[in-house]
Amino acid sequence: MFDGLLDGYTRSLLIFAGINVIAAYSFYLPYKTGQVSLGQAGFMAIGAYTSAILSQKFGIPFAAALIVGGLVAGIIGIIVGFPALRIKGIYLLLLTLGFFEIVSVIALSWEYVGGAQGFRQISFNPFTLAYVLGIIVILLLFFARLERSSLGRAMDSIHQDETAAEVMGIDVVRIKLLAFGLGAMLAGLAGALYAHHATFMDSTTFNIMLSVEILVFVVVGGGSTFWGPVFGAIVLNAIPEFLRALREWLELIPVGWTNFYPVNRAYDFLHGFLDFENAKRLIAYGVILILMMIFRPDGLLTRDSLRRLRFPRWKTRHA
Amino acid sequence: MREPAASNVCLTIEGLTKRFGGFYALNQLNMDVRQGHIHALIGPNGAGKTTFFNLLTGVLPADTGKIVFDDQTIDDARPSRRTLKGIARTFQNIRLFPHLTVMETVMIGEHCRAYPSVWKALGDAVLKRPFHESDAERGMRANAIELLEFLGLADKRDDKASDLPYGEQRKLELARALATNPRLLLLDEPAAGMNPRETDELDQVITRVRDRGITIILVEHDMKLVMGISDNVTVLNFGTKIAEGPPERIQDDPVVIEAYLGEDVQL
Repeated sequence: MFDGLLDGYTRSLLIFAGINVIAAYSFYLPYKTGQVSLGQAGFMAIGAYTSAILSQKFGIPFAAALIVGGLVAGIIGIIVGFPALRIKGIYLLLLTLGFFEIVSVIALSWEYVGGAQGFRQISFNPFTLAYVLGIIVILLLFFARLERSSLGRAMDSIHQDETAAEVMGIDVVRIKLLAFGLGAMLAGLAGALYAHHATFMDSTTFNIMLSVEILVFVVVGGGSTFWGPVFGAIVLNAIPEFLRALREWLELIPVGWTNFYPVNRAYDFLHGFLDFENAKRLIAYGVILILMMIFRPDGLLTRDSLRRLRFPRWKTRHA
Repeated sequence: MREPAASNVCLTIEGLTKRFGGFYALNQLNMDVRQGHIHALIGPNGAGKTTFFNLLTGVLPADTGKIVFDDQTIDDARPSRRTLKGIARTFQNIRLFPHLTVMETVMIGEHCRAYPSVWKALGDAVLKRPFHESDAERGMRANAIELLEFLGLADKRDDKASDLPYGEQRKLELARALATNPRLLLLDEPAAGMNPRETDELDQVITRVRDRGITIILVEHDMKLVMGISDNVTVLNFGTKIAEGPPERIQDDPVVIEAYLGEDVQL
């Protein structure tokens, strides 16, 4: 798909960004009911390993392996979701972190899936980009419906005051389990897609930094509307590319213009700062996060800002 | 003196006890609430009134005792189940959902009636036209508007719940509780923070709710309100019932006056 349009690099970039969007939604769904998980990389690993075992060891076609990988991750999500029901905030973070550690140790020590050597030669799926885009479209439609449905509102109410929601008759237990399980399933799908694109993975592929990044996508994009996760994942995936482009523009400046003190020092600093391979890039990333939390703690997109953007009439209609 | 349990008793409490460490928040409480009554529960701060509501709605587990609502024991039911059976409440320290609008808040109350099963809710969330409201949603919205008009909040339907003034937040709590379509409504100090005019309005609202056939248990410090509208009054002190009866008798009860109201208070 899009063979004539995209070079391999851009295409790979889009695929990884898309997988990150799906992963961001896997975090967003439980987050909508107030559950913050650092275990999403663990669910991705479960989806990835399950589907890779099915496709590589049993020769099952990719589409079926993808679905089973998602379902297995979802079922394990519901099992993990039960103890998570009674636990909130930082304790839930630790519980999901513990779950993640268990998954990664199993991946490391299970020889059947390659153990420390990693899982090699997973069959490459040439249609990953189409799958990723298709799933994202379905997710956007689903979340657009959810946000306008009673279930979506019930989830918001649980996030805002769980006790009050429960006393108003909201079935907090089932809704939280549903959200956690579906979230785990989405993570499983993202992991399965990743495995069949990268064709190699080991116990460090789905690491704790990935869980944290998934959280950051949602927090930066905005957790109060379903546009937030997709926006956050795309923006944060684009930042390194954007910095690289800036650097290339910088190099277009004629040497004579910058070849004197102190402009040359500033130029060198900026050039190094924008270096894609350079650790200073991470500084830029960190600075962006800090500024975000100071100036837009609710994320780039919030429900209120979208409302102002799309429907300026709403303010006066009932006045 | 306890009246014999009649057929039109809607709530029976037997030996209800709750301890926090060595402190008895509620001690062996027995109480009957009659169908269609406004039953006031009064007592000094810390007498156990809010604890009683928390036990009744299942927010806290009771240590011992039995709660029978409409001939069914509900002690083991989760709070959401009790709401489905017909018990609704408001909170003393207002607990609205800060980011929801007034309209959405009331629709949360309606959710449990419209979607008793999560699967039905999920089906409606997934299988309908994107970017549109479902029919069930539209019905809920219409009911919500009716309730908001009943409480005089219809103009503020699109305001954020947390932006309302204090008195209107209390009304919104009442609207949200009524939206669950209860048969027993627990009001925890509904007049707190209201000015005299708002309190008069509240008086009428409570009476009209009762006239719809909803039984009400009212915890309130405003004695004028309590004595004016209650059919029956129970007085608690240190978790124990010290008096019960119609308001006229409670007003003259020397035990009540001494224990709770202080001798210089004129009722």
